Amino acid sequence: MESGVFHTDYRTDMGLRRVPAERLRLGLFAAALLVFPFLASPYWLNLANQIAIATIGALGLNILVGYTGQVSLGQGAFMAVGAYTSALLTLRLGLPWGVSIVAACFATAAVGVFFGLPSLRLKGLYLAISTLAAQEIVEWVVTHWPALTGGVEAVVVPAPRLFGQRLNTDFGFYWLGIALAGATALFTANLFRSRIGRSFVAVRDQDIAASVIGVNVFGTKLLAFATSSFFVGLAGALTAYYRNIISWERFTLETSVLYLAMIIVGGLGTIRGSLFGAALITLLPAMIATAGRELQQSAPAVAALLPSVQQAAFGLVIILFLVFEPEGLSKLWRNVKDYFYVWPFAYRRGEGR
Amino acid sequence: MRSSRFAFTAAGGLILSVALAACGGSGERAENEILIAAIFDLTGPTADVGLDYAEGVRGHVEWLNAAGGVAGRPVRLIYQDYGYQVDRAEQLYTQFVQEGALIFMGWGTGDTEALRLRIAEDRIPFSSASLSHVLGDAHESPYNFLVATSYSDQFRIVLRWIAEDHRAHGGVGNARVAFMHNASPFGLSPWVQGGEDYAREIGVDVTPYEMPRGATDYTAEFTRIGQSGATYVVFQNTSAPAAVALRNARGLGIDATFVCLNWCANALLWRLADDAAEGVVGAIPWAPLTADVPGIRDIRDYLESRGDDYGDKTNAYTQGWWTMAVFVEGIRRVLDAGQELTGENIKQALETIDGLDTGGAGPPLTFTPSDHRGSKGLRLFRAEDGRWTPLTEVLTAP
Repeated sequence: MESGVFHTDYRTDMGLRRVPAERLRLGLFAAALLVFPFLASPYWLNLANQIAIATIGALGLNILVGYTGQVSLGQGAFMAVGAYTSALLTLRLGLPWGVSIVAACFATAAVGVFFGLPSLRLKGLYLAISTLAAQEIVEWVVTHWPALTGGVEAVVVPAPRLFGQRLNTDFGFYWLGIALAGATALFTANLFRSRIGRSFVAVRDQDIAASVIGVNVFGTKLLAFATSSFFVGLAGALTAYYRNIISWERFTLETSVLYLAMIIVGGLGTIRGSLFGAALITLLPAMIATAGRELQQSAPAVAALLPSVQQAAFGLVIILFLVFEPEGLSKLWRNVKDYFYVWPFAYRRGEGR
Repeated sequence: MRSSRFAFTAAGGLILSVALAACGGSGERAENEILIAAIFDLTGPTADVGLDYAEGVRGHVEWLNAAGGVAGRPVRLIYQDYGYQVDRAEQLYTQFVQEGALIFMGWGTGDTEALRLRIAEDRIPFSSASLSHVLGDAHESPYNFLVATSYSDQFRIVLRWIAEDHRAHGGVGNARVAFMHNASPFGLSPWVQGGEDYAREIGVDVTPYEMPRGATDYTAEFTRIGQSGATYVVFQNTSAPAAVALRNARGLGIDATFVCLNWCANALLWRLADDAAEGVVGAIPWAPLTADVPGIRDIRDYLESRGDDYGDKTNAYTQGWWTMAVFVEGIRRVLDAGQELTGENIKQALETIDGLDTGGAGPPLTFTPSDHRGSKGLRLFRAEDGRWTPLTEVLTAP
């Protein structure tokens, strides 16, 4: 009797999902995603769409921060570039939404490369500060160049249509959102199985060693900035089309920090971590707020304190995560899997995957 | 290891219970109850005035229900703090509308703008504390209602008053004005939506200065203002930042007349700026609770019946109270006409409001199918000895 999974050829050994259980889980997850919109209320669909967009953005940021080790505080700025480029291309030049989204991704990649140039000389916190400059510069340009961006006024984006159907309803957008989030996840997973992806990781782990084994460190960093910004731009463009109206207030430094929180709480350098983090950071304030509303009815005396308590609770949960599981939700998920791997027995030999 | 496992079980349990609480139904609903939704800023950057506005809205609903509701039907207000975040506002909007809210009380300019198209689709009458001019354009924003004078009209009234005041004091040439505004759509709204053009038309030189969010020092701005020779400074911001700027300006010895539009012309400005607020001119559409007029007396009686001191509250309370009152009037008209209570009917009922008497708390309000700017006029007040004293009669926007 086989007491485990043994790969007998390279094809199965190098597969993305190597164990039947993994394939089963993926199948169940996909099935759940397909059924969800038919059962969920608009509120939950709205949250799901927000998570889908956040997942794409978090995956993009994770490519740069988690996999390549280049800390970026410019997430909000890059999302703004994506959102405004796609919106303005449709609004001013009349490009179809699909074309303008793709164009926005490439434009954001270019902007990302430009703001990635300081990474030639800067590392760690110093690079973080230079990306902070990117954030400030883009914000300033958006608010102070009304001829191009409409300035501080909101920009109304024409509704995207597919086969005559409006796509930016909660239900319609869901399909676009999960399809693109899935494609982004698949791309990222495969990227880090390729030579280029491995060189990203090599730069993160030890850039001098990487250059010794023949990795062009600077080129790799720029490529990481480009790839990352491409997806961040996609997230921004999707925000623009989903929400119909964009203004600079959506893409501030707070956005950048929130996305960093997503990938840190989710798990740096993991794909499922990006999904978990995006889901947690989106759902947590919504959950806390709804729970708070229940209290408004049952305990009105406490209600006056609630808003501040909600803010504190959000911060507390993030701190607790960092203290008890620095590797994030992704590690937590692995712990759960490891536990059930040998259940009901307590121990097993070696490490599971 | 063991302790961390325990911590995780505990954390997991906590999250699960929060989630369960969140998923649970939101209480029983009475059969004939009218559901109104609201978002407030209680923790965000505009919370200084947001708290009183929120209390005003809630106070009116409580007062109304104690008096038997609208045409015998009780009103239930569902509300939530959104911390001035556009994303949160959108989430809460979807949630509340799904729960059956007929009317939505918004807050900021940014989030009201973001929801403008959706509310028109969903046919949800919407009021915002934001008085951005474009929101009163019934063609652009068919379901938004401005329950006071728009920012642009306020600014134009103030500019015209400045031009006259400048001449009356023997000023030569054009009056020079520094327009200090919140760095947001809210701050720039009166300038870009008509203020700039009007200033040019009447010959007033206005230079806009941005007040960065969370700034504690405006020395750089005031140095430039001092050098420019501006003798009037107009604030479009909330009380807290305006008070910081006022103290700053007095400290630097800036010799100018300061004017506060809507959201900083209130009692809070006194509390925060103290002596520095003396002599400030305020464009105030809604009277402070210290005013002794019929429209305010209801509010004072209500607050006293609860044992609250009305002296602590600002005129943001009046604005919240009366904004709610106007929508209740719309509902009452629908019910009195025996129509079905829908967003569309409430909108049409609101458009029949002609010269609604606010009992001196604010200007009389009129809405028409083509114009949702409830009022075109307001009074200017001057801050003297801790009180807002009337400076002019009701001025109508040019």
